[in-house]
Amino acid sequence: MKDFMMIFIGKEYTDLGLSQEEMQARMEKWFAWGNKMEQAGILRGGEALTPQIRRVTGQNRTVTDLTSADVKEIVGGFYLIKAKDFNAVQEIAQDFPDYDLGNTVEIREIMVFDH
Amino acid sequence: METKLIDHLFRHHSGKMVSILTRIFGLANLEIIEDAVQDTFLKASIKWRKQLPDNPEAWLTKAAKNRVLDIFRKIQTERKNLPELKNGIETIAINELFLDTEIADAQLRMIFTACHPKLNAKDRIAFALKTISGFSYKEISSALLTKETTIRKRIFRARKNIQQHNIQFKIPQGKELPNRLDSVLEVLYLIFNEGFHSNNKTTLVRKELCGEAMRLCKILLKNKHAQTSGTYALFALMCFHAARLDTKVNTNNEILDLKNQDRNKWSFPLIQLGNAIMDKAVENDEFSSYHYEAAIIAEHIKAPNFEQTNWNKILQWYQHLYKIQPTASHLLSMAVVSLQSKNYIKANYYFDQINPEDLEQRAYLFYAAKSDYFSLLNKKEKALKFIDIALRKVTNNLEKEYFQKKQEKLLK
Repeated sequence: MKDFMMIFIGKEYTDLGLSQEEMQARMEKWFAWGNKMEQAGILRGGEALTPQIRRVTGQNRTVTDLTSADVKEIVGGFYLIKAKDFNAVQEIAQDFPDYDLGNTVEIREIMVFDH
Repeated sequence: METKLIDHLFRHHSGKMVSILTRIFGLANLEIIEDAVQDTFLKASIKWRKQLPDNPEAWLTKAAKNRVLDIFRKIQTERKNLPELKNGIETIAINELFLDTEIADAQLRMIFTACHPKLNAKDRIAFALKTISGFSYKEISSALLTKETTIRKRIFRARKNIQQHNIQFKIPQGKELPNRLDSVLEVLYLIFNEGFHSNNKTTLVRKELCGEAMRLCKILLKNKHAQTSGTYALFALMCFHAARLDTKVNTNNEILDLKNQDRNKWSFPLIQLGNAIMDKAVENDEFSSYHYEAAIIAEHIKAPNFEQTNWNKILQWYQHLYKIQPTASHLLSMAVVSLQSKNYIKANYYFDQINPEDLEQRAYLFYAAKSDYFSLLNKKEKALKFIDIALRKVTNNLEKEYFQKKQEKLLK
């Protein structure tokens, strides 16, 4: 088993103009997904990120303050899970509730030095 | 599983769930949260009649988690302080709150909230029993021997005060902490005493209250900011008292005083635990009233039998206690202790300083002690006069019977 990170990228619900009902229906799916991973014993943790962004870029360390509405896509959070390989994680990521909004799951393996 | 065990599980779990959900939705939505948790448990108890889940506690946690969205909806329709909901990913953060480590944190926040100095002293106890300990209104009313409507009023007032004073759902820090912690210890001490000195006939209720106070004290001791010498001393005091809780009443449900309790039945593990905790409590020189109270009861426990009790030592501890807490109740104790060591002059010296009215509903204890005093001096008539007053003032049936026995003896 290896450790993987699923990073969630896309638009925020409020920026998409979803109604409260739609949001709640999606929340329900998120809960169900989280519970499913938890029960399978593969969930190691996760964090949600607030939509406020401060970017520091380049030689001059240029500072820009942004919100989710200002950017095309935003990293919203991540889950850490245990899985055999990328294919297994891809399978788990099928339950991500927001594909229909054009949102993305990026799967990355946690680097380990074991020599 | 027995109904009793399920009740117990619900009760403990309810406090946890209410605390976690309050972190999500805030104290402003406490009533909705409590109703939702109550409802979850109600549904569980119906479901469990048919089949019990493998892991009831995990089942309840999951059920409470599923309730989060219901609560969102409810709050939304009532248009009350709705937390912002922007993204499904937020469920990750909510999920984290249901982890064991976070549960302890949430419970501690609730303890500090319930014991906030801005709440009325009586409201704190009722509110804590409801919100942290998951007692129903009915259970609180029977535990505190107070009418259910009064309990409802107290809890309602506590909730209102929390709103009015904008009390935050936080663990206080820095300069604020010592004062807030004192208030918490006081509430736990009172809950324990309600159990230990309860006028309640059923031992079960008494044990529940004492057990709850000890459980909450343990939660405090697990937090490095709350594990002060005062908290340790209070826990030691509770251990020493709890060790003899079972021997306070005999099989006929009659009250037994220290003299007549079966010392062999005192719980040795609890005494040992109390001793170990007491060592922790005296690591620095800050002694609280809990230290002296624990020292007094430890002295009783040390004595192999009632006759060999070191009354002088106990009187010294009371004198220390009286210095930081000059109350009529301690004066009475000193009078009683002096009687035990047959120092009648000293006993009288303390009796003379007491205004029975200061003892409020425990004034009957003063009259009973005075009766003992005269009885020891062989002044039967006076002794009878005072036991009469005590009998008129006492409300607790067990104690009433106890006094009646004394009266009969005097009449013989």
